[in-house]
Amino acid sequence: MSKLTSEVEVLHVEVHRRMIENGEWDRILHLLSSKLSESGWADDLLHRAKENSRSMDPLSLQMILQELLSHAQTSVPLSVKREITTLIKQFVREQFEK
Amino acid sequence: AGIVGKFKTVIAWHARRTHGALHPAKRRKVSSPTCDTCNQTLSRPFVCLQCSFAGCWSGSHITDHLKDTVHTFCVDAKSGSVFCSECDDFVFDDTIDDLYLSTVLSVEEQKTRFQGSREPYQPWIPTGDESIVLKDAATVPCQGRRGLLNLGQTCFLNVILQSFIHNPLLRNYFLSDRHNSRLCKHSDCTCCEMDNLFTEIYSPTNTPFGPTSFLATTWKVSAEMSGYAQQDAHEFFITALNQIHGTCRGSTNISCNCIIHQTFAGQFQSDVTCEKCGTVTSTIDPMLDISLELRSKSGEPAADNTLASCLRRYTKPEKLGAREYSCSKCTKASHEAVKRLSIRTLPPVLSFQFKRFEHKTSGKAAPQKIDALIRIPVSINMAPYTTLAMNTTGKDGETGYPGPDAMYEYDLFAVINHEGQMDNGHYTNFARFQDEWYRFDDDKVTPSTLSDCLASNAYMCFYVKRHLDYKPYVKPTYLVAREKDIVREQAMEREKEAARMKEVDDALIAMV
Repeated sequence: MSKLTSEVEVLHVEVHRRMIENGEWDRILHLLSSKLSESGWADDLLHRAKENSRSMDPLSLQMILQELLSHAQTSVPLSVKREITTLIKQFVREQFEK
Repeated sequence: AGIVGKFKTVIAWHARRTHGALHPAKRRKVSSPTCDTCNQTLSRPFVCLQCSFAGCWSGSHITDHLKDTVHTFCVDAKSGSVFCSECDDFVFDDTIDDLYLSTVLSVEEQKTRFQGSREPYQPWIPTGDESIVLKDAATVPCQGRRGLLNLGQTCFLNVILQSFIHNPLLRNYFLSDRHNSRLCKHSDCTCCEMDNLFTEIYSPTNTPFGPTSFLATTWKVSAEMSGYAQQDAHEFFITALNQIHGTCRGSTNISCNCIIHQTFAGQFQSDVTCEKCGTVTSTIDPMLDISLELRSKSGEPAADNTLASCLRRYTKPEKLGAREYSCSKCTKASHEAVKRLSIRTLPPVLSFQFKRFEHKTSGKAAPQKIDALIRIPVSINMAPYTTLAMNTTGKDGETGYPGPDAMYEYDLFAVINHEGQMDNGHYTNFARFQDEWYRFDDDKVTPSTLSDCLASNAYMCFYVKRHLDYKPYVKPTYLVAREKDIVREQAMEREKEAARMKEVDDALIAMV
């Protein structure tokens, strides 16, 4: 069991490295940013961060991140998630074919 | 000096790297440092400002390094945010912000050489004389917020005036006294009305005031706007822009450089491709704003309902029918062609209007208002809708990357809302000062939030470019002409004087 997990981990690190070196990471991130902005996700987080920080004492960025992280992850629109996951899967598949 | 230099190096490295990764023409390997703790490739590098360590934020790799080595500062290469291990939090300072901005802009300038000559960014540092003047100057708060009284169905005027008041380029122009109403010689000058408006807004009183002379001047210059009936805010917007342009010093009919054109003027390009021979005919048209349809050509409401989807619809290729176009290259009669609109030049301020009022010529008698909710973002990247992007398509036909994002980022600063039906409705607006949003309902001004603004269903909205780019300074033609005149006059004076001296000399000689 642990051998399988560590194999997956090694693969993950390798794919991660290739994706960054290839520039695909930056391209997918750019697309993700624009989709999240268009869906209003980014603006919703900006608004929440602002309103949370109004009454926060002492003001700390780490605190803001902590309060928002779980909501941020769960509120990503399904269609955006699907589209980006597809792109990532496509890249991984292409890497295995090489 | 070591920390500052390191900061600049890291920020510049990351900016260039991102540009390299996104530019489709340059598909080389992207430099990829690894974390000095876990050895994984860094997708979001945090770099120590006191040594060569780079690490992940997750798993506390970078923060542990700071604790272990008693180094204090590290920076997020992407955002320029500096973390202090003593405060155990990110710290913010104007010096850091200025440094980040000037470094990113410098990289951007290098990467946009294709734009032509561009004035390199320099922070403003007052000269000796300017410092003396500043020392004795009285400071006024730079927040100008005053309600505007409704003078009888004039909410359409008030919302547009508030959008002017909160427009950074217009505000800076009039606050710098560039059109002084006391020196202006025009009568019925709308530009003077703007100057007076800013004077009122930035005066010590903040009780609401009535823009009566602005209204009166508008009526005198544009008869169709007169009368107390409700007008369309967008119509007034265009009328006001034309009036201000007309009364601005140095305005011309072609390539005008007045404050209105400098602020709002952009260009559309329309490309028509003949399907038979592939010839592309391009036309360029000037524009002061962008009006977006809310329905598709067939009349159905749009599926998507965001600003971006409206812009996509606006710039998508459309087939022209056989009768609508005849190609100048193929000598045959008209055939099919494809037309595509794109934005060739982006103005510093982008004004959008959503066409909510449709005038139906047949069928229903009364024009209907489309109340469909349109989601607008707090900032938008305009690159995908530009002519340049459409001409640099990457592989798979995806839209190309036409330059650093910083050139195309726009931030929302005002939203105009309309409630009710076409003939009896009410206009209100939201506007932003720095980071805070306010709601304006004629004379009532209240603090508000970003989410209230975005949920308010816009009729018009205004975005300002985040980073302005400047052409190198060129003396305006009217100043050059005036200087030439002065030189010529002085030369003529000298000639006259010399001629007179000669006459005197001749007379003296004659006497002798």
